[in-house]
Amino acid sequence: MKRLVHSEGYARARLFSAALFALLGLVIVARTAGVVGLNASGLPAYALGGAMVALAIVRFRDYFAARQKT
Amino acid sequence: MAASISVKPSTDEQPSLRRSVTPWGSFSWGYSDVGADIFVGLGLVLGAAAGASNVAFLFAGIVYVCIGLAYTELAATYPVAGGGQYFVFRGLGDIFGFIAGWAVLLDFTIDITLFAWSCIDYLSKLAPFLSYTQHPWTHFWVVFGVIAGLATLNIIGVRESSAFNEIVSGLDVVSETSILCFGFFFAFHPELLQHTMQHFWPTPFNLMNGVSLAIISFVGLESISQAAQETQRPASVIPRTSISLILTILIFALSYSNLALGMQPWHALPLDASGHQQQLWHYLGNEENNGAAVAVLASYVPYFGALAALYVPVLGAILLLISSNSGVFGSSRIAYAMSNTQLLPSLFQKVHPRFRTPAVSIGVFSGVAVLELVFAALPSVSPGVHEIYRRLFRGEDGITFLGDLYAFGAAASYSFVFLALISLRLNDSQSPRKFKMPLNIPFTYKGNPVEFPVVAVIGFCGIASILVFTMITHEIGRVAGPLWIVLGIIGYLVYRRSKGLPVFRSQPRNWRKAQIGILQEAGELELMDTYLANVKAMEQRKAGAGPKP
Repeated sequence: MKRLVHSEGYARARLFSAALFALLGLVIVARTAGVVGLNASGLPAYALGGAMVALAIVRFRDYFAARQKT
Repeated sequence: MAASISVKPSTDEQPSLRRSVTPWGSFSWGYSDVGADIFVGLGLVLGAAAGASNVAFLFAGIVYVCIGLAYTELAATYPVAGGGQYFVFRGLGDIFGFIAGWAVLLDFTIDITLFAWSCIDYLSKLAPFLSYTQHPWTHFWVVFGVIAGLATLNIIGVRESSAFNEIVSGLDVVSETSILCFGFFFAFHPELLQHTMQHFWPTPFNLMNGVSLAIISFVGLESISQAAQETQRPASVIPRTSISLILTILIFALSYSNLALGMQPWHALPLDASGHQQQLWHYLGNEENNGAAVAVLASYVPYFGALAALYVPVLGAILLLISSNSGVFGSSRIAYAMSNTQLLPSLFQKVHPRFRTPAVSIGVFSGVAVLELVFAALPSVSPGVHEIYRRLFRGEDGITFLGDLYAFGAAASYSFVFLALISLRLNDSQSPRKFKMPLNIPFTYKGNPVEFPVVAVIGFCGIASILVFTMITHEIGRVAGPLWIVLGIIGYLVYRRSKGLPVFRSQPRNWRKAQIGILQEAGELELMDTYLANVKAMEQRKAGAGPKP
């Protein structure tokens, strides 16, 4: 398990999931904005999209920090 | 180095935990504990908050982020396994340390029962003879068997390996991400979400009920501290893994609630009891499905649902079983630690002569869990008791009964953690904090430069409001929760008096020496040097010779 976690493949899988979350977050925000606009009822969906983008940013940052180290 | 404090290698002969947990291990440890909560919480919240379930999760989620940040800061600063109980004990003193620990113990015992109960609910989606609604006695005996089995394994000393945790957590993250992707890309309709929210908005009472139940989807942050105790260089590792963990859990909770309200099911839902069409959220929140809502939702996801219907119940059940086991393990260790610091009688320190495990603690708290199971299962197995519950407790079912108490224990212990964080920021400003909650106001307190944590105040207000919601809306939690605390305090006072220990005051302790030991043992030698330098600067300031803050 330790070897897997430290492998390049695992790092790429995390990068892929970060990209997926970023895309999903943006899709949710865009689709909700198209229907609800700046209405309070869209708040939970906007928060969800924002959290997904934030997680993606954390993972991108981790990935590039690790690459810089190596 | 400070002249007044010497650092010696630890001569403590007590065995310490090996620090071998990796960043991924630390993440998966927390995930297998907190990540299981949504499997239980989703159905309960949908049943209570209906069209505002996503709002309930959002409110509880914001509070949870504050709690998560507080635990991250505290676990990185004081990397010991006691978690909330230790932080409160250190920050607020003996009696509050006891109350917080006692509330955590209530949560751990509920954790054992609730997750064992829900584990069987998930399995019943594949094996209908385990169904709570159709075969309550079978369900009761199987849950009882799970609790007894876990207690026995813990007494023998068998625990699931860290690698097993990591594999299950990894599979679950991949599985849940797949469900969400298929759900949001192919079946999510914001207009349906808006329609559901507008037409099925609950009463204020039900919304408060939903918010108080939503917090149970975010319980288990003690695992961050437990991981901190076994992680090498925890001050660096814990913040990184915790932020990722907090965001992941938040995303899953918000995603499921939004999907439940705004997803068009891939195939038709069964008609309700009166033969009417029902909405997905309603179907997930009814008594038959609320214990296994994630598995049911997954089975209605486009393309992936047919596969998910087969494996999500099993994966969910495994994750819930791990979480139930962490309740058995955690309660015995917290009781052991509290007994060590003379907050509980020495009886809880007794170890089994052969297996060297805290057998008395495991037996006592597993026994409490069985008692809770009996109270939760009674209405389903006895029509007479069902009638009593209907009249006195608004007809709450077993899993809601457990959820009530879980929410109370969590809200009570988390409230104290925020107060402890504020107290430690003011009174222990010398301990270096590699991670700090954002938004701090710097000022001078008793001649020392300190930073007041604004987010802790926001978090405290949030969790205190959830505690109030729990007291207002939960008939059982309102009585049984405070009763547990009051009985605990009476026992504490009697014990402390009988031992000649201070009853309301705290015993004098050398926290400086303790902090040096903690940092040294964690391998955080740079932080230890910083701590010693901070202590020296503070002493110089006190003597009037040192640098001004």
